[in-house]
Amino acid sequence: MLDEPVRKVAVVGGGIVGWSAAVALKRRVPGLSVTIVPVAPPDNALADRMPQTLPSAIGFHDDVGLREEDAVLRTGGGWRLGTLFEDWVQGQPAYVHAYGSYGQPFGTASFHHHWTRAAQAGSAAPYDSHSPAAMLARAGRMLPPDPEPGSPFADIQAGLVLDIGRYRAMLEAFARHLGVGVREGAVAEVQLRGGDGFIERVALADGGSVEAELFVDASGPGGVVRGAIEAAWEDWRPWLPCDRLTHASAAATAPTTLDHVMALPAGWRWQSSLPGATLHGLCYASDFLSDEDASRLLAEASGVEALPVIGFHQGTRPEPWARNCVAIGDAAVVIEPLEWTNLHLAHSAIDRIVSAMPGRACHPLEIADYNRQAVAEGTRVRDFVLCHYATARRPEPFWQPHAALPESLARTLRLFAERGRLPFFEEETFARDSWLAILLGQGLIPRRIDPLIGTTPPQQSDAAMAGYRAAITRALLQFPTAAQHHAAQHARITR
Amino acid sequence: MAGPDRQRVVVVGGGTSGWMTAAALVKLLPDRCHVHLVESEAIGIIGVGEATLPHIRAFNERLGIVEAEFMATTRATFKLGIEFRNWARIDDSYIHPFGTFGRGAGDVQFHHYYARLLHAGVQLPPIEAFSMACTLARANRFAPPSPDPRQIASTFGYAYQFDAVAFAPYLRHLAEGLGAERTEGRIVHVERNGETGDVTAVLLEGGRRIEGDLFVDCSGFASLLLGKALEEPFQDWSRWLPADRAVALPCRTVTEVTPYTSAVAMPAGWRWRIPLQHRTGNGYVFSSAFLSDEHAADALTAAVEGVPMASPRVLRFTAGRRERSWAHNVVAIGLSGGFLEPLESTSIYLVQQAITALVELFPERRISAVDRDEFNRIVDMEYDRVRDFLILHYHATERNDSEFWNYVRTMTVPDSLAEKMALFRRRGRIVKYREGAFLDASWVSVYLGQRVTPAGFDPRAAGPTLESLVAGMKQMRAEIQAAASAMPDHLSYLGRYCPMAAAA
Repeated sequence: MLDEPVRKVAVVGGGIVGWSAAVALKRRVPGLSVTIVPVAPPDNALADRMPQTLPSAIGFHDDVGLREEDAVLRTGGGWRLGTLFEDWVQGQPAYVHAYGSYGQPFGTASFHHHWTRAAQAGSAAPYDSHSPAAMLARAGRMLPPDPEPGSPFADIQAGLVLDIGRYRAMLEAFARHLGVGVREGAVAEVQLRGGDGFIERVALADGGSVEAELFVDASGPGGVVRGAIEAAWEDWRPWLPCDRLTHASAAATAPTTLDHVMALPAGWRWQSSLPGATLHGLCYASDFLSDEDASRLLAEASGVEALPVIGFHQGTRPEPWARNCVAIGDAAVVIEPLEWTNLHLAHSAIDRIVSAMPGRACHPLEIADYNRQAVAEGTRVRDFVLCHYATARRPEPFWQPHAALPESLARTLRLFAERGRLPFFEEETFARDSWLAILLGQGLIPRRIDPLIGTTPPQQSDAAMAGYRAAITRALLQFPTAAQHHAAQHARITR
Repeated sequence: MAGPDRQRVVVVGGGTSGWMTAAALVKLLPDRCHVHLVESEAIGIIGVGEATLPHIRAFNERLGIVEAEFMATTRATFKLGIEFRNWARIDDSYIHPFGTFGRGAGDVQFHHYYARLLHAGVQLPPIEAFSMACTLARANRFAPPSPDPRQIASTFGYAYQFDAVAFAPYLRHLAEGLGAERTEGRIVHVERNGETGDVTAVLLEGGRRIEGDLFVDCSGFASLLLGKALEEPFQDWSRWLPADRAVALPCRTVTEVTPYTSAVAMPAGWRWRIPLQHRTGNGYVFSSAFLSDEHAADALTAAVEGVPMASPRVLRFTAGRRERSWAHNVVAIGLSGGFLEPLESTSIYLVQQAITALVELFPERRISAVDRDEFNRIVDMEYDRVRDFLILHYHATERNDSEFWNYVRTMTVPDSLAEKMALFRRRGRIVKYREGAFLDASWVSVYLGQRVTPAGFDPRAAGPTLESLVAGMKQMRAEIQAAASAMPDHLSYLGRYCPMAAAA
């Protein structure tokens, strides 16, 4: 006999990760009773705190039936198209990683081989000048909601910048509306049942308790629920030594769709635009920069006082799901916010729970399949983030390699450096265009190019690239600026 | 920037894989290589009539091959899938289609809804009734899929069944027209560099010596370069795939020219039936541990329809692959690198994937380990994934009517497959892949077709009411039937589109 379906789920954690999980489970799994214990996650729960998201956040909204005006506009959020990376490689110009295609395929080889051939000859225009999304972001402009199909601008995807407090409140209201049960209280004890060691109940400080068949731990890096089962942790600090973060919110400057991420002697600094505010932050390694100096640096950059320093340890649980408890958000994986993958990984975990929902017995095979996918995904995101450091070139001690790269990234870099090719991985988050934007943007020019390019003479490639750049530049002005876009969206909902 | 010098590529063997390789290299990398193919007419090619996967169409397109002309020349027919008969139980029959069940869209896979209705006791036809490809195949009809994704007639793909003996000369013509050189002769010695171990030349009977920079071993089971000269170890998979012989017997076509291949389970293996325009290919793949060649030939002769055109021919093989398909400067493509029985028509697919990888990773004269490693990683992944899928066909059976079926039913399968099957048996979960020859619908089709039924289903499939699901299924079936009956008969479509050249 197959085990019974799960009927009762409890989510522990009242940040945006926990509320997102409650909403998605209630909305997408029919007949499920969902209770949330909305304990506020600590400041270092990055997936709950970081305002910038990847485009997948919009997909998450679609899946749970949240309209963009409710999820983004009415909560004071805005859109972002990409990130400008500055000073990561000495002597290289800043480059943009945006979400959309770079270049247009022509001939028999992929676009980036045409570009690489020109770069080897010393005659290439910046790689990102062939990306409609990157150029739009550089211009601080935004796509209209329905771009003309088939245009080079049609495949651009936008991420979001959230006002975390208002966004969380919106999710809470939506969850209550959907019938999610809310049980306020602090977790006092996690009680395991005899025999199989499954979590039986979460006892609360007020003497009450929450029982469920499945527990989702969204409580932040402490993982109070999942941690009651076991505490294995894979440490990524040898590769990713950043372990501190401080941030600040300053008065608004001209709104833009482009974030800035600037490399510093012991970490990196960001600047993003939210309607009505400019967000600043600094991520660094405490071995190389003191908290006082970091706070002072950020205060100088932002013009306001920095919020208290947050500490974190990058790494992952080798088994996010054990028995009847699955950890998501920072309870499962902690990674610095470079490339804004924190909420993405949480959303992806939620989506995976929904589509791989086991029965009450949480059979080890079903759990193992979930863990295999989750860990493969997290590991590859780590590789992508680490790739920025592995290909950076700066003189300071922080920027020197600390440990041999993990084999999956080493292989990626070997194959790319040799011949501009990227190996295939299951569970890859970032598209090939994203990897190329970083690798080529950081000036890693492959030694060889695709032999298939042989049939297209270089002059023909050069002409095609120039034509494409011109077409992008011509088209840019027809798109609204971030401010115009925002005003138009607001006018639409208030009309 | 000046291109590197053209490299001398020597292709050893002129069967399907040899000429596919030669044609692809001269067509796609004209500036990078000079291709010299060595073949011996005395050896002959395996070509027993080939059934393919839809991927072949992309390959042909890249080579500039015109479909109708290619089909007429190779007396090809269309293929919508494979019919498996007698696999889980005698008298069972299901089709593994090139296409989806239902529309193949939406969050929850179709088979979960299907499973839910079965659990609720609703009487349903086999799942293939909800596949456009299966419905067309059973009705013996064919027309190309619709390009409009809203149409149900867009939910299938197709491949070909063709005469491999005619395909190789067709490709040879193409390759020679583009500058490939051909030499007739039997290889008697492989010369290697004493220091590096690389192959430097092959010596032919009569003394001719052919030098090269890169050698592609398409010598078939002989594996002259990779196996014999370089002694690359072979990973033997016969404990899971015990079939090691095939007896082949072509017959004149007197029965229906079905738009699908049949694989009929037999007491010690299975029998193929591949209808071409002019004849039907037949063969019995069996395990010599359980059946003698003579008895296999007799059983095949008794089973075939139509008049045999030749006497039965026996082939010998072992399932498995070389540890590495590319070692030193030798790349094995086709049977020289590995063999998986043609149960799911993967032979040409594996050749094609290897050629694509070689073209994309075409080396410099001084070969980089990076190229070799990536090539081997791709080829190994393809082989390993196909392997598990094939084993499933044997293992998922209730048959206990022969020693052979008792063996495969009770054997220990690779962990990777055991886990996949257990996951499906529980809640109908398909282990997710983005790459590989066989994706979700293929696994669903074989599981359900071979009576591996899920005990549960995705809880999201419990969302809609039973009534609305039943009505939706009914409507989908009607839509598929209407679309299928609007399509022409397979044979008459062939007659209009690509009538075969005059009979041989």
